[in-house]
Amino acid sequence: MIAAAWVLGQRALREAWRTPEALVPTLFIPLFFLVVNVGQAGKIFPAQSTGFLKGQGYGAFQLPASLLLAASFGTAALFLVEDIEGGYFDKLRSAPIARTSIVLGRLIAELAKGLLISTLIVLLGMVFGITIASGVLGFVLLVVMTASWSVVFVGFMQLIALKTRSAAATNSGGLVFFPLLFLTPNFVPRNMLTRPMEVAASFNPVTYVMEGLRSLILVDLEWSKILPAFGVVAVLGALMLALNVRMIKRYD
Amino acid sequence: MDDAVQAEAMVKHYRSRTGVVEAVRGVDLRVQAGEIFGFLGPNGAGKSTMIKMLTTLLSITSGTARVAGVDVARDPDGARRRMGVALQEAGLDPRQTGRETLVLQGRLFGLSAHDAVARATELLELVELVDAADRRVKGYSGGMKRRLDLASALVHQPEVLFLDEPTTGLDPASRLTVWDEVRRINQLGTTVFLTTQYLEEADALCERLAIIDGGLIVREGTPAQLKAELRERQGLASDPSLDDVFLDATGRTRSRAAGDVQEVTA
Repeated sequence: MIAAAWVLGQRALREAWRTPEALVPTLFIPLFFLVVNVGQAGKIFPAQSTGFLKGQGYGAFQLPASLLLAASFGTAALFLVEDIEGGYFDKLRSAPIARTSIVLGRLIAELAKGLLISTLIVLLGMVFGITIASGVLGFVLLVVMTASWSVVFVGFMQLIALKTRSAAATNSGGLVFFPLLFLTPNFVPRNMLTRPMEVAASFNPVTYVMEGLRSLILVDLEWSKILPAFGVVAVLGALMLALNVRMIKRYD
Repeated sequence: MDDAVQAEAMVKHYRSRTGVVEAVRGVDLRVQAGEIFGFLGPNGAGKSTMIKMLTTLLSITSGTARVAGVDVARDPDGARRRMGVALQEAGLDPRQTGRETLVLQGRLFGLSAHDAVARATELLELVELVDAADRRVKGYSGGMKRRLDLASALVHQPEVLFLDEPTTGLDPASRLTVWDEVRRINQLGTTVFLTTQYLEEADALCERLAIIDGGLIVREGTPAQLKAELRERQGLASDPSLDDVFLDATGRTRSRAAGDVQEVTA
């Protein structure tokens, strides 16, 4: 199963590499939002007098939102719909491989893509003055956490793709991320949100991933934030993988 | 001779918004090893459903099917190793090259990287795509895609090759090329099970054929047997064409068939 997943993952990476028009927005749009958000709210939160920024600019506080946005495009699921619509998915299903390897291959590729894109975004952030307070290990954790979230999200999108077999439905399903992103302590820390927003954010799993990412950028290795973030990613990742496997095994 | 394909009482029901659709309603089939078997029927008759059940792509509501002696429901992976599949729409990834397509297919069928590359080269020569081997599939013509799809179905040297409407949408020259490929593959010992809507294709290629209509087999035999049966039954002076056999079997008439393409002028 692993061997088949690996060759299918390589194929999915070739596919991504050969479709730069699908890859470029994944990089450009999160950076665009980073610049816009910092431009709009940067003066409200000056580095010198804003405690929660830990001495950095507002860009450092906003970087996790951009990383999560970059990890939540789910283009791999749209490629999966193309495979289904074009008949290649049936070609793969007619091979003597575990069905699981078909979804696993795409998830492996998504992880690799996520690692590359998040590294590029963090490096660009560093060029513009953001520092990673948790050092080299923190940098690695930051990138791994973001890439793991991209696997979770694409797993969710693949569920929609396998269920609906429709590009339009899969694309629309991806928009569910926007409410989730805005129900987080996106602009200020959780304790500064209004009470209803704070409650909503506390129920939102994306909040914990965002806080984990943010702690790696602003603070040193703060395990009380990092572990819950990885916990959320691990639980949701396992759930998405299980549901993907169930869905592809029942695919008729 | 052994049966390459053996189907007994195969049934497929779908649930739709309007109720249960009985796509296949109890089909028995036997295809002998080494033959080219044609499976004909009008649109919606159950051809593609039947081929998808035989190739493990659709679950079987009831009945049994064996391909190369392997039960497709009980041991789908075992059956997949013995069959090649080229479905109606050439199932290809447009972003890969022809060579990459074949190498990947080889790897999925358990070949080592080295063997997969060697097999891909061999197949590209067989289907005469060597010059286009390193071009992406999206730039291929319809005929080239069909030939590549055929080659990808042959990567593991299957005993039985399933072709679902292999020439639909092709120009006459490409169609003839595909026919030649099918004959060549068959001469190498592969049993071919093909569905088609083109009766001249069935007449030219198939040693035996079955006609399905409304989810049931309504005729089965060699083209010559089917023509002779109709000639005898209707007391015709000469052998009818396969078109006549098809129209008779499916309860359609020439006038209705002609009506489908009749020009209407104001």
